[in-house]
Amino acid sequence: MTTYVYAIVPDGSRVEDEPLRGIGDPPRPVRTVTADGLAALVSDCPPQLRAKRRDLLAHQAVLARAGTAGPVLPMRFGSLSESDEAVRAVLAERAGHYRERLAALDGRAEYNVKGAHREEEVLRRILAEEPEIRALNDARRAAGGGSYQDRLQFGERIARAVREREVRDARGVRERLGPLAEAQHDGPAGAKWPVDVSFLVAAGSVEAFLEAVGGLVKDHPHLELRVTGPLPPYSFAEEAPDGTRA
Amino acid sequence: MTVVPAQQPAGGGGGSSGLYDVLELILDRGLVIDAFVRVSLVGIEILKVDVRVVVASVDTYLRFAEACGRLDLDAGPRHSPGLPELVGEATESGARGKTKGALSGAAQTVADAFHQVRGDKDDQDGKEGSAEEKPVARRGGTRRKEESG
Repeated sequence: MTTYVYAIVPDGSRVEDEPLRGIGDPPRPVRTVTADGLAALVSDCPPQLRAKRRDLLAHQAVLARAGTAGPVLPMRFGSLSESDEAVRAVLAERAGHYRERLAALDGRAEYNVKGAHREEEVLRRILAEEPEIRALNDARRAAGGGSYQDRLQFGERIARAVREREVRDARGVRERLGPLAEAQHDGPAGAKWPVDVSFLVAAGSVEAFLEAVGGLVKDHPHLELRVTGPLPPYSFAEEAPDGTRA
Repeated sequence: MTVVPAQQPAGGGGGSSGLYDVLELILDRGLVIDAFVRVSLVGIEILKVDVRVVVASVDTYLRFAEACGRLDLDAGPRHSPGLPELVGEATESGARGKTKGALSGAAQTVADAFHQVRGDKDDQDGKEGSAEEKPVARRGGTRRKEESG
């Protein structure tokens, strides 16, 4: 039988009165496998598990539920072990490390901040603030739009300016929010979102953090920001690669 | 600002927009233990390739050029064009009162969501699409288009 692993939590943190509902249809009940003061939240793995919406949500919900009872080390979706016994062995083998991570994450949650430009606003700003581009645009308009080549070149110039602003705005977000978080983790480079950063925020700093997000929104009307949280600390389960400790 | 609750209330109709925002966290972050196997997620890898090549394409260049040609800079932008990139201290403290009210509301929403998990019952029947379909539907430039409309 295959065991699906959701998370590692301190043993004894009472996660549930009734079993949590896990992945699968019908949902597999979540049970715990314990060793050395740690508990892994696990369930049976349904056959042919895929990343279905229902299962992703179930994974996320188990972690969130567990997070209300104490610190959680979230596993990446789809982690399987051959048996409960094998899970127990893993817990025992690295117990010290997992306990240390749990202590570091206690009372903290992940907030993911994604941002995208409102295109028209950004173009407007570029034309307003960069006289050279503005002049090019005016000339092009006077010439009835210009040739295909003209339009292409001009558009490329704009795209570059847009990209510069994306980089600048992303830096601004990190600089403004970073000091209010204990750690941060950048999203994939060149991804869909120009701004995509996860922050590890202590419970006591959440209000200040969200307030700062509000400030950013106010100061950057061309930027659409989405904050998702509190989340299980997916991005901080391991120590950050640069050695900053969560 | 949009503060998206981490957990969608059951039957909220909105479905998985929140899920979409955290998809790569669930799939790509989190603890990996090498003694465990990771289930093969066919199709999911495509998500990671879903990069924003958009900005570097001919289509984008032409679209930008056209959009700039259309912009009426004198017709009063929705926001003051003279707004400095970074607002100074004075403005910031002046704005604080206002921001704060809005935000404690947002914080409340988030906190509620955190404790709502419990009621997160069943629900998603009929909307069983696999995760990999979602981004495709959402892609199609909706993010950019909705702003320019």
